[in-house]
Amino acid sequence: MTEIRDYVAPRSLADALRVLASGPATVLAGGTDLMPQSRAGRVRFAPTLLNVQGIDELRGVARDPGGVQIGALTTITSLLEDPLIRDRAPVLRTACDHFASSQIRNAATLGGNICNASPAGDTLVPLLVLGASVVLASAGPEGIVKRRLPLAEFLVGPGRTARRTDELLVAVQAPLPPAGWVDRYLKFGARPALDISAIALAVGGTLREGRLEDARIAFGAVAPTAIRASEAERVLSEGPLDRARIDRAVEAADATIRPISDVRASDWYRRELVHNLLRRVLNDVCDA
Amino acid sequence: MATTTLERTNTDSLIGRRIPKLDAPDKASGRTRYLHDINIPGQLHAKILRSSQVHARIVSIDVEAARRVPGVHAVITAADVPWQRPIGVTKDHLPLKSDIVRSRRDEIAAVAADTVEAADEALRLIRVTYEPLPVVATSAEALAPGAPLLHGEDLRAPGRGGALEVVHPASKDNVAMVHEYRQGDVAQGERDSAVVVEDVFWLHYVTHCCMGVSGVIAEFDPSGNLLLYSNTQVPFLHKREFAELLGIDPGRIRIIQPPIGGGFGSKLDIYPFEPIAIFLAKLTRRPVKLVFSREEEFIASPTRQPVLLKLRSGCDSAGRLTFRSVETLHDNGAYTSWGATTPFVMMQTISSLYRVPHCHYRTRAVYTNNPYAGSFRGYGNLQATFAVEAHMDKLADALGMDPLEFRLQNAQDPGETTPQGMHFRSCGFKDCLRTAAERSDYRAKRRANLAHWNDGNPIKRGIGIASMLHVGGGAKMYPSDGCGTIIKLDDFAKVTLITGASEIGQGSETVLAQLTCEELGLPIDAVTVVNNDTAITPWDVGVHASRTTFIGGNSAIGAARKAKRKILEAAAPTAGLAADELDLHGGSIVVKATGERVQDLGKFLRSLHFAEKADLVMTTYYYEPPSVHLDRQYRGDVSAAYSWATQVAEVEVDTETGVVRLLKITAAHDVGRVLNRLGIEGQIEGGIVMGQGYALTEDLLVEGGVIKNPNFRDYKLITAPEVPDVDVSFIETFDGEGPQGAKGVGEAPAICIAAAVANAIYNATGTRIYALPFTPEKVYRALRGKSTAPTWPESAA
Ligand SMILES: Cc1cc2nc3c(=O)[nH]c(=O)nc-3n(C[C@H](O)[C@H](O)[C@H](O)COP(=O)(O)OP(=O)(O)OC[C@H]3O[C@@H](n4cnc5c(N)ncnc54)[C@H](O)[C@@H]3O)c2cc1C
Repeated sequence: MTEIRDYVAPRSLADALRVLASGPATVLAGGTDLMPQSRAGRVRFAPTLLNVQGIDELRGVARDPGGVQIGALTTITSLLEDPLIRDRAPVLRTACDHFASSQIRNAATLGGNICNASPAGDTLVPLLVLGASVVLASAGPEGIVKRRLPLAEFLVGPGRTARRTDELLVAVQAPLPPAGWVDRYLKFGARPALDISAIALAVGGTLREGRLEDARIAFGAVAPTAIRASEAERVLSEGPLDRARIDRAVEAADATIRPISDVRASDWYRRELVHNLLRRVLNDVCDA
Repeated sequence: MATTTLERTNTDSLIGRRIPKLDAPDKASGRTRYLHDINIPGQLHAKILRSSQVHARIVSIDVEAARRVPGVHAVITAADVPWQRPIGVTKDHLPLKSDIVRSRRDEIAAVAADTVEAADEALRLIRVTYEPLPVVATSAEALAPGAPLLHGEDLRAPGRGGALEVVHPASKDNVAMVHEYRQGDVAQGERDSAVVVEDVFWLHYVTHCCMGVSGVIAEFDPSGNLLLYSNTQVPFLHKREFAELLGIDPGRIRIIQPPIGGGFGSKLDIYPFEPIAIFLAKLTRRPVKLVFSREEEFIASPTRQPVLLKLRSGCDSAGRLTFRSVETLHDNGAYTSWGATTPFVMMQTISSLYRVPHCHYRTRAVYTNNPYAGSFRGYGNLQATFAVEAHMDKLADALGMDPLEFRLQNAQDPGETTPQGMHFRSCGFKDCLRTAAERSDYRAKRRANLAHWNDGNPIKRGIGIASMLHVGGGAKMYPSDGCGTIIKLDDFAKVTLITGASEIGQGSETVLAQLTCEELGLPIDAVTVVNNDTAITPWDVGVHASRTTFIGGNSAIGAARKAKRKILEAAAPTAGLAADELDLHGGSIVVKATGERVQDLGKFLRSLHFAEKADLVMTTYYYEPPSVHLDRQYRGDVSAAYSWATQVAEVEVDTETGVVRLLKITAAHDVGRVLNRLGIEGQIEGGIVMGQGYALTEDLLVEGGVIKNPNFRDYKLITAPEVPDVDVSFIETFDGEGPQGAKGVGEAPAICIAAAVANAIYNATGTRIYALPFTPEKVYRALRGKSTAPTWPESAA
């Protein structure tokens, strides 16, 4: 038994935003987080259930002047099959490939993964490495108002974001990486499919004359949100990528993360995994 | 070489063929109607309120608000059923608890309502106040001096006459059950030993995870006869037990088994939800349906028996085993179910898998506030084999002997009778060992892997071997280990096979049909199997102990042979031949010597039926295996046949993460004879994956009596990409008593995987891990010397 009083399924963004402006509503996209969480008693529904699945304008991957724009309702399966993502942002594709199972990927949306703001959310880590921003929309006096926020600022804590209750996440925007870009994504769980990450990490940068320029490192499941490891990134960007620098980057990353112990892993083990797997991934980039 | 095949004169014999399971099309297309799909007009839905405390005294239960919920027909607590009687293997367990709750699964109240929602709403409104009691979280704590006694008071319940009687006497020390077995003189064995090893092993909690969750529908007719739709694996035993529970004549109980969505041993006992549904049906005079949620299934269905096991083993300098000494603590949980009796199987492996002159085995099953353990495919054998096979490797290592050679030297041979009284009339153990080792290239790979221990590569390869012995011809634990069959042939030579043997997905229906058709010379589609209604089918002890193909098969063959004899004797005069000069083949009566067709079988049956002395072909047969009960010293030939297997595991260990990947299993199974090749391959592959889950991923986390991961997100079953390559060889030893020479294999394939994987991890890394499962963090800690091996508690000294 729930407290839902109204169920609305608008066809346009403007209608949806009006609903959000008029009072507390729970947004329903693929429902793959919402339904299990509500059944487990971890989320309470607001009086209005707002199903956004009918808003087709929120679906799809497109080039835009800043790089690529991905609609919030794009499913993980569509991302996995998208040629632009495959060719230009493979790190995101790899993450989608390790995401849940086919059935869940068909239902799960990118917007849902981001708004759910799990520290272990699988798309967050590659999106941080790509330098993505989120686009939030709300109803204003003169029509739809949009604002852009870097993803790192949008993620506030476990399950918490900077979204106002009258806002809908409408898209993710990311610059497309330049030529010479290399990236890696690694998800670590107890089994290869249908698992929540014990840790996840992604690395990206432009490989030029033995240096990883504009290096980016992001981690999942080792802090209250998915995070960038800026200190480790700085260490990498300072000089040639060699074993000694990699060791220093690993040390810097260790100082950034704040892992916890839960049923999936202890904090000690998460740290060990970060050390060993970041080193492994960077060595792999170095040898490439 | 690996697979022997019998020369067949009869080329269209059904034996050894790949026959799809008869129930497969329905299951694959979603047409099968499980218990969950059955709805009886007028039925109510029941839900159970379970304890929120691990151990507490119930101070009060307030059900008033719950009773007022619209649509609610009954809310019951122990006070409403003062006549309830205890369930369980030692009758230490009342379905509804009145004074004390001893685990988080404990049933306090139950609701029957028009809808599931109304029942849920009523549950939410029941107020229970508790007075917490100290929690006993481990068997070591339970044995410590001054530990709270979990069953320290007499349990009383009304007897037949209605007066209260003691049904379970107070226990003085939290020990629920003791099993002790001796052969020879262990002290002598120690003196004869050149090498002795001793270790403590921890075998963890796992649970069955049947895709079909537990459930039951109970309905009384106006005369007070009880009809149960039940997933039980032992309908005839339960008929009796329910009758005792209700104080009615067993003849008034009928059990119908809809297709069962997985058993694996979990449905061998009566659990509180079943009597509770019956109580509600009785009080409301309505059919009552009770189905678990998945979380409830994790919390309130039984677990595999967790075991702390201390093993001491020795051998002489020539590599002959000298003795084995075992002590175990079985964490019994709050109540006693079949888990406490797993020593019956464990001691067989300890005493008889290999030849050991001197043995001592002792188990104490100890009450704690944990979930309670039931029976689970393998029945203690996974636990015992894990320890025994670790020591086979350790002893061989200590002697510098090849582990395969060491095993071959101590392995049983056909004809042997062990000191425990098991007589191995057929035994392909050595063939299993040699076949699995050769097909996996065990010797060479083992040596090659050792050379990589210190090569700097973080990814290591390992190979490990382990074997198992298990009953393969039933197990005489009850007064009878038999099975009855009724066969009838209609006017068109179609057969109805009515068997006591239950189908729980293992494929028994198909194999019994096959054995019957083989006798009657009919195609497999000529048969309909009826196996799900105690009012129709003859008695069977139940589906357990890998017994159904063997016992149910012999029973079906017996009935089919009687039918055949009747047909041939009736046909002989017209054919002008003696009955034994005739045969049944291809749907006809034929001349045995030439195969020449005498008459179409259907036509003949009609002529028999519509003759002046009209008759039908209907036969019955009851098969009782030639096995014996164990005596007081646990000695006796309890099974009519024994099955053997060797499995070789190949793993890859990532020493920087602790991930163990199972790459390949090479298995050789002495199955007596392959009956349905497709069925037996499925059974073995499924068992291997179940063993893999036990070894690597499945872990029911029980902390302070609370299950931390009652869901499929955090309780990790094996998924498709993890399934290893599997190479199975069948060793056909043609058991003299087995149906067409076959032996039981239901449990066998799950038994030695974990043991083989442990040996493989050692071969890869030089690290031996004594506690299951081998999850990445556990392995990583062990590799870094950051884990503590299990120890034997002082309180159990
Ligand atoms: C079996 C299973 C396996 C899973 N495996 C993984 C995995 O491997 N990796 C992983 O990262 N996740 C996994 N998940 C979690 C889940 O599938 C993902 O987080 C998914 O992306 C959520 O998307 P959704 O569309 O289903 O979101 P929903 O459940 O519909 O919504 C999630 C949350 O976001 C809010 N929301 C959704 N869309 C918007 C929007 N446009 N604007 C504002 N708020 C919005 C909702 O209100 C809700 O709070 C798994 C889930 C299940 C059930």
